[in-house]
Amino acid sequence: MSYLNKAAMRSKTGFWPNNRGTILGIAAFAVVIAIVPFTASSSMMNIAVFSMIFALPAIGLSLLMGLAGQVSLGQAAFFAIGAYTHAILLQKFEMPGPVAAVGGVVAAMLAALLVGLPMLRLRGHYLALATLGLGFIVMIAVREWEFTGRTTGIYGYGRPEVFGIPIDNNGLFFWFVAPFVLIGLVLALNLTRSRAGRALSAVNDSELAAESLGVNTYALRVKVFTLSAGFAGLGGVFYAYQVQIVSPQVAEFHVSVELLLMVVIGGLGSVWGAVAGAFIVELLSEGLRDLIPAIIPGATGEVQLIGYGLVLILVIILLPGGLYQVVKTAWAAITRRRADAAAKPSPAETADGGSGDVPTRAFGGLPGEPPAGASLDEATDAAASAPRIPTVSTPVAAGEPILVVSGLTKRYGGVVAVDGVNLTVPAGQIMGLIGPNGAGKTTCFNMITGAIAPTSGTVRFLGEEIQGRKPHVGAEAGLTRTFQNLQVFSSTDVVGNVYMGRYRKGRAGILRGMFGLQGREQYAHEEIARDILDSMRLGDVAGLAAGDLPFGRQRMMEVCRALAAEPALLLLDEPMAGLSGSERELLAQLLRALRDAGLTIVLVEHDVAQVMALADSVAVLDDGVLIAHGDPESVRNDPAVIVAYLGTDAEEAEAELKELEEHA
Amino acid sequence: MHRAQRRLLVPAAVAASIALALTGCGASNFGGDSGGDAAAEDGPIKIGAVLDITGVGANLGVPEQNTLNMLAEQLNADGGIDGREVELIIKDNQSTEDGAAKATTQLIENDDVDLIIGSSRTGPSLAMRPLVEAAQVPTISVAANAAIVDGSEWVFKTAQNDLVVLERILDDAESKGYTKIALVRDATGFGEGIADIITELGEERGITLTATESFEPSATDFTAQMTNIRAADADAVIIWGITPSAGLAQAAYVQLGVDKPIYQSHGVANDAFFEAAGPAADGVIAPMGRLLVADELSDDDPQKPVIDEFIADYTESFGTSPSSFAGHAYDAWLVGTKALEAAGTEPEALRDAIESTTDLVGISGIFTMTPENHSGLTADALIMALAEGGRWTLYEE
Amino acid sequence: MTDFLQLTVAGLSQGSVYALLAVGLIATYTVRHVVNIAQGDYATLAGLGSISLVTAGLPLPVAILIALVTVTLASVLIERLVISRVKNLTTLVSIILTLGVSTLLQAIMLLIWGAEAKRLPAFPGSDLTLGGVSIRSQELWMLGALVVVGGGILLFYEKTRWGKALRASAEQPVAARIVGISPAIASMLAFAIAGFAGAAAGVVSSPIYLSIWSGGLLLGLKGFVAAVLGGLVSFRAAIVGALLLGIIESYVAGYVASGWKDAVAFFILIIVLIIRPAGLVLRPNAVRV
Repeated sequence: MSYLNKAAMRSKTGFWPNNRGTILGIAAFAVVIAIVPFTASSSMMNIAVFSMIFALPAIGLSLLMGLAGQVSLGQAAFFAIGAYTHAILLQKFEMPGPVAAVGGVVAAMLAALLVGLPMLRLRGHYLALATLGLGFIVMIAVREWEFTGRTTGIYGYGRPEVFGIPIDNNGLFFWFVAPFVLIGLVLALNLTRSRAGRALSAVNDSELAAESLGVNTYALRVKVFTLSAGFAGLGGVFYAYQVQIVSPQVAEFHVSVELLLMVVIGGLGSVWGAVAGAFIVELLSEGLRDLIPAIIPGATGEVQLIGYGLVLILVIILLPGGLYQVVKTAWAAITRRRADAAAKPSPAETADGGSGDVPTRAFGGLPGEPPAGASLDEATDAAASAPRIPTVSTPVAAGEPILVVSGLTKRYGGVVAVDGVNLTVPAGQIMGLIGPNGAGKTTCFNMITGAIAPTSGTVRFLGEEIQGRKPHVGAEAGLTRTFQNLQVFSSTDVVGNVYMGRYRKGRAGILRGMFGLQGREQYAHEEIARDILDSMRLGDVAGLAAGDLPFGRQRMMEVCRALAAEPALLLLDEPMAGLSGSERELLAQLLRALRDAGLTIVLVEHDVAQVMALADSVAVLDDGVLIAHGDPESVRNDPAVIVAYLGTDAEEAEAELKELEEHA
Repeated sequence: MHRAQRRLLVPAAVAASIALALTGCGASNFGGDSGGDAAAEDGPIKIGAVLDITGVGANLGVPEQNTLNMLAEQLNADGGIDGREVELIIKDNQSTEDGAAKATTQLIENDDVDLIIGSSRTGPSLAMRPLVEAAQVPTISVAANAAIVDGSEWVFKTAQNDLVVLERILDDAESKGYTKIALVRDATGFGEGIADIITELGEERGITLTATESFEPSATDFTAQMTNIRAADADAVIIWGITPSAGLAQAAYVQLGVDKPIYQSHGVANDAFFEAAGPAADGVIAPMGRLLVADELSDDDPQKPVIDEFIADYTESFGTSPSSFAGHAYDAWLVGTKALEAAGTEPEALRDAIESTTDLVGISGIFTMTPENHSGLTADALIMALAEGGRWTLYEE
Repeated sequence: MTDFLQLTVAGLSQGSVYALLAVGLIATYTVRHVVNIAQGDYATLAGLGSISLVTAGLPLPVAILIALVTVTLASVLIERLVISRVKNLTTLVSIILTLGVSTLLQAIMLLIWGAEAKRLPAFPGSDLTLGGVSIRSQELWMLGALVVVGGGILLFYEKTRWGKALRASAEQPVAARIVGISPAIASMLAFAIAGFAGAAAGVVSSPIYLSIWSGGLLLGLKGFVAAVLGGLVSFRAAIVGALLLGIIESYVAGYVASGWKDAVAFFILIIVLIIRPAGLVLRPNAVRV
């Protein structure tokens, strides 16, 4: 059967990007590369050559900024390291060109790994400014070091030769460098849609959610940082060849700014945009250098900077998505008009196009059409059949402790949010965690899952202490959660979200991703994700942008996402909130079935009635202290609970509790 | 199929428009016609120049640019070379090495020049050297360091060698009985190797180098270097740099109360030195060409008429008097155009013509080049000048 | 010992420039969470502006006053025209944005004043020598500027209602509003303070360090390093950090190698950030949900 045709055009990305469009784009690019040296004027050729050289570090920076969400103001440092290493290996060690080039790239990557390991623990402003500082350090180091030729640099190593043909003019050099840009482009595009790439864009949507699914953000960021430096290093290698001297200017801040500008103009995270941005910046630079002195007599020096500054500001204020956004919007407009003009034989027929969104499989869609068609009615119609149960893992026998919390405490300054909580969760049952607002339920939850570090106390999951570790540690072991405030990956569609749940079951790393050698694995996980969606009656909205779903269905999607991880322990933070009656019923049914299949579930819930009805045992938190723990019946009758939960007067509280339950 | 066609259409259109955008006059991008063919003989003679017009070397590059523009205009007004017009293409290297390399590549590849002049400073000149050697384009640098022409086939230079400049300084130091010298040098190519030369030349004169400090040409604060120099055990100090940094260093030297006699290089042979150093300049001794003390030259000095005419022309055109660097550019132009007149634009013939320059009277001295000597000046080209009241005067040793 | 003291004096006067810039950076960071990369360019702008005014024949104090006021207004204008235009001011966006402002300011200065470094005439006073250590009168002016301007800003923040409200406004906009400071006003005020502090640093240092169109970036970054030493929130710690940075730079230039001087700040930055990142972050325990 075919999944329904409500795809996510808009500004979102469908699960499978437009492979055909990409292939055509690359073919077109290859044609341009072949033709340009015959048609371009010599000054345009010069621009073309340098835009190819700078496209490489720009692609790297685009991956770093778009994918890993990190700002680097020191990309020139790695560019310089690549260039210097290459030049030194050629000139001082007389190595063959390819060996020296590999040396340059490896040196840049090694340097990035070394500085990335500590620096990528920094956040936001600190990382950006630390990379900026790194740029200065590299520039000063090469300037002061005898080995790197001090201020004059390294020169006199000669031009490259390919099959005995010396690459000694711009035309040949363009053909020399362009294939590498093409390959780099393909690798980078592959990476963005690989397991690692999807994980990183999930991190950008919600770092917490991604980590809770087992994504080791830090490790991935270090890898992308290193990879990005590799691209920069390769650019440096070609720069050294083209300019025939490597001097400290290659590490200068203005180079980093130029690279940043390329990425910003192209659109953050768009690999094609980085290449286009490189060309535009080179063109802009050359044009302004001619234009400004013509307007302002006597203007000399780096007058192109005025354009850089203006463009940076204007793009960020007026067009934060850069060229990518422009092309996308334009394309959406074109396809919409076309779709309107055509008689709409079927939505899938009309929704083709090159904006990177058309799936190769059978879910296309109408751009901009509201997702209203995918309604609850369909879901409830299908409710006749009971949900199929996704696979769960049962590492310990039912009744054995799976999660042991002892002495868990969290202080914020003088305030104690959670105070010495001891709790053991036996495998194979549903435990409810309740308590009034501000009782510390979510804080407790966050400490168990690793979102925050406890002040003291231990959390033992499957015998392993995981307190204070990042969420991915628990997640890898099979501890998965959902969120009170939804943490949806808004840059992908519903399948894409649930697919992320499969992250911990996947294997493919960045290399396999770049070379596109993980298609089979991805298809398999995508199939499973779809099955889970079907079982939860969300199959009809699989292709929709996750953010476009109604609230209740987003919640269900989060549950699907958590289940896709085949967890051993599922922690649900107020899963019922915002669900309709039928959805609640469906979810309760599912949870029971999962429990019966051996899954351990802990849920924090406001809806006391639901908890009492669902849970095998109930724990009650009040003011950060665990005041009761036992089967629902005994907890319900515990006077301390009643007082704490509902007020000072026990009788009144009981009345209210009853009313609440009836209401539910 | 309709859809498939449409799909192909867009990338094809994009490809076509990019290719079109990149279209120009359709010049060959696969290597210029390297000199000597018929087409090149008809058009203008192309002389390229790569100068430090902006950045730290601007005090050198700007007067050089002025000079070349003025001389090209004069030459074309007089009918060019052999009836062929001379086209001068000046590029700014922004006082950077890679800027010089890029500009040189453009001059060779895009403009197909017959002769190149530049750069203003040693570093950028060194960066140009392998490029012009590979492309076999005769090139005349206007920078100082001997490394620019050491063993070169296609590169010449017109500024006095640092070696002879240091010889003059050390001769003067020896005559005054100094035995210990401290050096504060420019950290770029201009200052590199200077310490070694001083050690080497000092040996026969009983002079030792006791301290070395360096500074970036872009530096404005010299406290650290001068504090160390103040503490150094030395009879005299050499500051080796270009303006404005060498002038600022001079000011810091005096401000920090160092009272040792001081020498500077020919890198401060301009009025900008006095702007940067202010009253601190007084008493500095520096070897330089005769240009800046022209009014003190005796009438039988063979250079005097050439220098006087140049000063008159330059002052008329630009309202200021020329610096030594303007003089280096004048000499480069002179050597180059004489050779072009004699040999035409065929590269090897042109190079040979430059190498046979003999007793050519220029601004910085009298040039005699050979295949082994691409510098052409001797110690005679230098005089010792003393900074006094904001100008350079002839120093009586 | 004389050399040591000489280097210390040089370091202190250089550090006072960093300190004023750090104060400006903290002012904008606490209110807007923006690390203003253009902070150092305020200094250059004020330096070059006052040089032009003096060249035009204005007396030095008048020229300086006009430059201070103009740059302060320019900073507010930048806040209005650029910073406040962006609704979702993430770290990434704020860095790119202020980098754009910095680049633009530098380019404008290049076009107006050219590529050469320029010098403002020294302030009145005569140089003195104490036990072999020569102290330029301008260096005393620089330290004095730090005491007056830096101290003034400190007093404003710690003693006045508005100042306290401004500090609080980043964390508690409500508290700020009670005193009558809307977030918009608070942001403008912060940028005004940053502009003024930067401009003061620029004019007072120009006679010694000169003013060049491209010089602001490095100055601003060193101010940032000093601000990081102060945890990006504490004015006092940042001022101490700045003076320390100036002194260390001076020692490195004197005792190690002058060429490495400019790298010192970044080594310190990276080492401090890596060793004690948590101690330097505003709220290390920020809940991540």
